[in-house]
Amino acid sequence: MVDEKSKVTDKASEIAKNIWLAGVGAYGKAVEEAQGRLEKAMEPPKLFRDLVKAGAALEEDARESTLAARHTVEERINRVRENFHNQRPARIEDLMALHKKVDQLTRKVDQLSKALAEQGVSKTSRSKTYKTAKKSAVIAATVRRRAGKKQAKAVGTANKKTSGSKSATNKRKA
Amino acid sequence: MKTRDRILHTSLALFNEEGEPNTTTIDIANELNISPGNLYYHFKGKDQIITELFQQYEHAMSHTLSAPIERPLSPDRASVEDNWYYLYVVMEEMYQYRFLYHNLDNLLQRYRDIKRGFKRLIQLKRTALYAICQTLLQQKVIDAKDQQLLGLADNMTLNLTFWFSYDTLLHDNRSPQVTIHQGVLQLLAMVAPYLGEDELSFYHDCETIYINMLADTSLGPR
Repeated sequence: MVDEKSKVTDKASEIAKNIWLAGVGAYGKAVEEAQGRLEKAMEPPKLFRDLVKAGAALEEDARESTLAARHTVEERINRVRENFHNQRPARIEDLMALHKKVDQLTRKVDQLSKALAEQGVSKTSRSKTYKTAKKSAVIAATVRRRAGKKQAKAVGTANKKTSGSKSATNKRKA
Repeated sequence: MKTRDRILHTSLALFNEEGEPNTTTIDIANELNISPGNLYYHFKGKDQIITELFQQYEHAMSHTLSAPIERPLSPDRASVEDNWYYLYVVMEEMYQYRFLYHNLDNLLQRYRDIKRGFKRLIQLKRTALYAICQTLLQQKVIDAKDQQLLGLADNMTLNLTFWFSYDTLLHDNRSPQVTIHQGVLQLLAMVAPYLGEDELSFYHDCETIYINMLADTSLGPR
């Protein structure tokens, strides 16, 4: 029983699909021409099969002729994606990625200042070493501060438009 | 740029901005600062210009629409958003030749060749959208029965084809970004009922961007 029923449904969707493909087939020929043949043809199913075939053949043609065009479509998709990402509200994942970057940068700066300090010890006087170390500490602080700003800016991009959009973003976050 | 190309370029701009019925060959010549005789040397009248512009459009659009038929735009689930970006690509291309859509019935009655071409494009459009829906179904991004999918593709085609007319009726002179973005949002709204939670986040992002756009005064009437 159930099998019978699903068979009928399958058949129905098969027919619907064929009608679809027939539509694509009509793309290949002038529609008027097909209609002319419909009047002449005493067996409509035959014409229908023809159209389905034409549709399938056309899909083949489309495959061949569009390899070159594909490239530009992809390029344009890339452009839209970029544009979209600039406008997109900031997500938790984006923030996390930024946090990670800031941490990495901080670590690198710390390592650098350490290395600088050590070099300073071997080559120059103590006071100069102290100065260099202080200097790198200042650099580190600046980098940290800048990174913080960058993060705030990234969040700000989503909200920067007006207060109206800000409340919308907040609502979504809530 | 060659004079011939300049004529086509300027005609397209005038048709889009002023409307094709309101633009004469004299207007086009004036805009280009050439004599009507010079224009006549390249084109024997407005009909020829319109036909050639349509051919350009059909050629470009056919290529664009063939892409998702030829092979899925998103090779896997991770790149599913490429399908949505593609909708922007299609709509932007339509927008470049929007005069066709603003005066569609009239044009189709006047030019049999354009009518034939337009019928081909509509078929290709719904086939492309159906191919996209099929990919989404195969990658389990959407959950729908085959029959629903056909209906969905037709609804999207309908929306895509008449979006500019509808938008003009509702709001005069909106900026192209807003018109196109809302058009894509409408298409997504049709897919949304079939989407899972994950993919819905893209739809919500689109909504947020739209709200931001409306709030942005620099995107006000042109």
